[in-house]
Amino acid sequence: MVEIKFRRFTLNQRIQHILFFVSFILLAYTGFPLKFPEEWWSRLMIESVGGFDNRTLIHHLSGLVMIGVSVYHVVFHILEKPRYDVLFNLKDLDDFKQQIKYYLRYSDEHPKFGRYSWKQKFEYFGAGFGAVIMGFTGLLMWQPFEAMKYFPIGFVQIANLFHTWEAVLASIAVFIGHFYDEHFDKFPNLSWLTGNIPEEELRHEHPLEYEEAMKNRVVPENIEHDKKDNILIVGFAKLIFTMIFAAICVWMLWISYNVLVEAIKTYIL
Amino acid sequence: MMIMVLIAVLYMTTASAQENIDESCYHCHPAQVNEFQASVHFNKNTCADCHGGDINISGTVVSINVMHTNFTGKPTPLNVTNFCSKCHESETLVYKESIHWQRLKEGRSAASCTDCHGIHNILSSKDTNSSTHFENIPGTCAKCHENQTRMQALYYGIQTDRFDTYKKSFHYKSYASGGRLLAVCSDCHENHNTRQASDPKSAVNPANLPATCGKTGCHTGANNVFITGGKIHEEQSVKLLSIDAKGLVTYFYIMMILFELSFTIGLIFLGITSKFEIRRRH
Repeated sequence: MVEIKFRRFTLNQRIQHILFFVSFILLAYTGFPLKFPEEWWSRLMIESVGGFDNRTLIHHLSGLVMIGVSVYHVVFHILEKPRYDVLFNLKDLDDFKQQIKYYLRYSDEHPKFGRYSWKQKFEYFGAGFGAVIMGFTGLLMWQPFEAMKYFPIGFVQIANLFHTWEAVLASIAVFIGHFYDEHFDKFPNLSWLTGNIPEEELRHEHPLEYEEAMKNRVVPENIEHDKKDNILIVGFAKLIFTMIFAAICVWMLWISYNVLVEAIKTYIL
Repeated sequence: MMIMVLIAVLYMTTASAQENIDESCYHCHPAQVNEFQASVHFNKNTCADCHGGDINISGTVVSINVMHTNFTGKPTPLNVTNFCSKCHESETLVYKESIHWQRLKEGRSAASCTDCHGIHNILSSKDTNSSTHFENIPGTCAKCHENQTRMQALYYGIQTDRFDTYKKSFHYKSYASGGRLLAVCSDCHENHNTRQASDPKSAVNPANLPATCGKTGCHTGANNVFITGGKIHEEQSVKLLSIDAKGLVTYFYIMMILFELSFTIGLIFLGITSKFEIRRRH
C-alpha cells in the first residue's frame, strides 16, 4: 500500500519547533522545582541535573535559547515570508461554535479546518505571548540589580509573579492541551520530525487545505513510500507515551492546584 | 552529712577550683552545668562569672554560701549585657546601638544577647549546632519574629510573615532545595546592629540598601542602584500607579488558570465522548 505524504513544515520550522520545545521542557523541568523547593520530586529533579547551581545555569541557558528562537521567528520568519493563514478570522468563531455543537451532538458536521484549526492558532499565539512575557520577566529576575537601574524594585517583584503564573498557564496549555491534541490524539504524529503529514490525516484534519492543494494541483513535494508502520512498535510507543503523558498531567494538575490554593488563601480568604 | 563532707574533702584534694564550682552547682542544676560544659565558655568562665557569688566558698555544703555575694539567679535581659560586656566589649557596644536594646531600655521586652546566642549552651557561630550558625539564623530570628502573640503584645506594626516571605525568596529557596543558603536575616539586617528601616543608620534603610546588597560576595556592583518603589518582604503591597499590582495580577491569573483548566479538560472530555456513538448520528 502506497501512502502519499504532504509537506507540512519546512526544515527551518521544524528546527525552530525543536529548539523551542526542548528549551520549554528544560525550563519547566528546572523551573517548577524552585516554586516548590521542599517537595520530594523537586529535590529529585534538582539532583538529576547535578545540583542547584546547575539547575540555575540550565534554566538561564534554556531561557536564552527560547528568547533567541522567538526573536528569530519574529524577525526573520515572519518578515521574510509572512503567512496570513495563521491569523484569526471569523471562520474560527464559526468553527468553534460548530465544534461545540458537534461535541454536544446538536450537529453531525465536524467543522472543516484550513491549514490551522482555531485551537492551533490559539496555541501559536499563546506560545508567542507566553514567550514574550516569560522572556522579559525572566531577564528582569536574572539581573535584578541591572533591572533596578531602570525600574523600581516593585517591577522585579511583579515580574517574579508574572513568571510563575505564566509558567503554570503555558505548561497547562502545552503539557495537557497541546500534548493531547497533537501528540496523543494523533499518535504517532511525526510531522514535527519529518515535516510530512499523511494524505489521509491531512484530508481528515485539514480538509480545506487538502481541497485547496488538490484543486490547484500545487501539491508540494509529494513523497511516496511504503506504509510500514509496525503495529506492535506503535502500540508500545503509544503505551509509553500515555504513561509519561499521564504522569505529566498529574504533575501539572498538582502544581496548578497548589498554586491556586496558595493564591486564594493569601488574597481571597 | 558524712557523705557530703566526704565529697567536699574529695573535691578539695583532687579538683581545681574552677571544676569545684561547676561540680558544686551540678548537684542542683545538672542540666545547666551539662549545657555549660558543652559550650564554648567552658574552661574560660565559671558559673560565678555571670551569676555572681563567691567563688572561694565551696557551694557543696550550703548553697547560700555561694549566693551571698552579689549573686544573680536569673539575670534580666537588661543586665545580661553587663556580664557579656566584660569580655565582649565591642560587640556589646554595637548591640547597644540596636533597636533591640532601645526597646529593652524603654522597658519593653526585646532580644538580648542570650535570646540569640543561647544561655548556657552558647556555641561558636562556626559550629553547625549553634543558634547563630549561618544556617540556623533564620530560625533563631523567627523564634520571636514569627510569633504572632509575642509580636502583637510587644510592638504595634511588626509583621510576623517575615520568615514566610523570606522563604519565598531565591536567597532561601536555593537552600531549601538542597543547595547553598545564599543570604540570611543578619546579612541584610545586621546581627548586633539591627535597626529599624526608618533609622538612617540602618543597613536596610532605603538609602543604605545599595551598599547592603552590594556587599562583596553578594550583588557586587549594586552600589549605584536605587532600590526604590517597593519593599523586599512586602510583595503583597507592591503599588504601581497606586494600584495593588500583585492583587490584580493574582486575580487575573487565578481566573485565567481556572478558565484554561476547565476549557482544556472539558474539550478533551468532549472530544473523547464524541468518538463514542452514545446516540445514533444521522
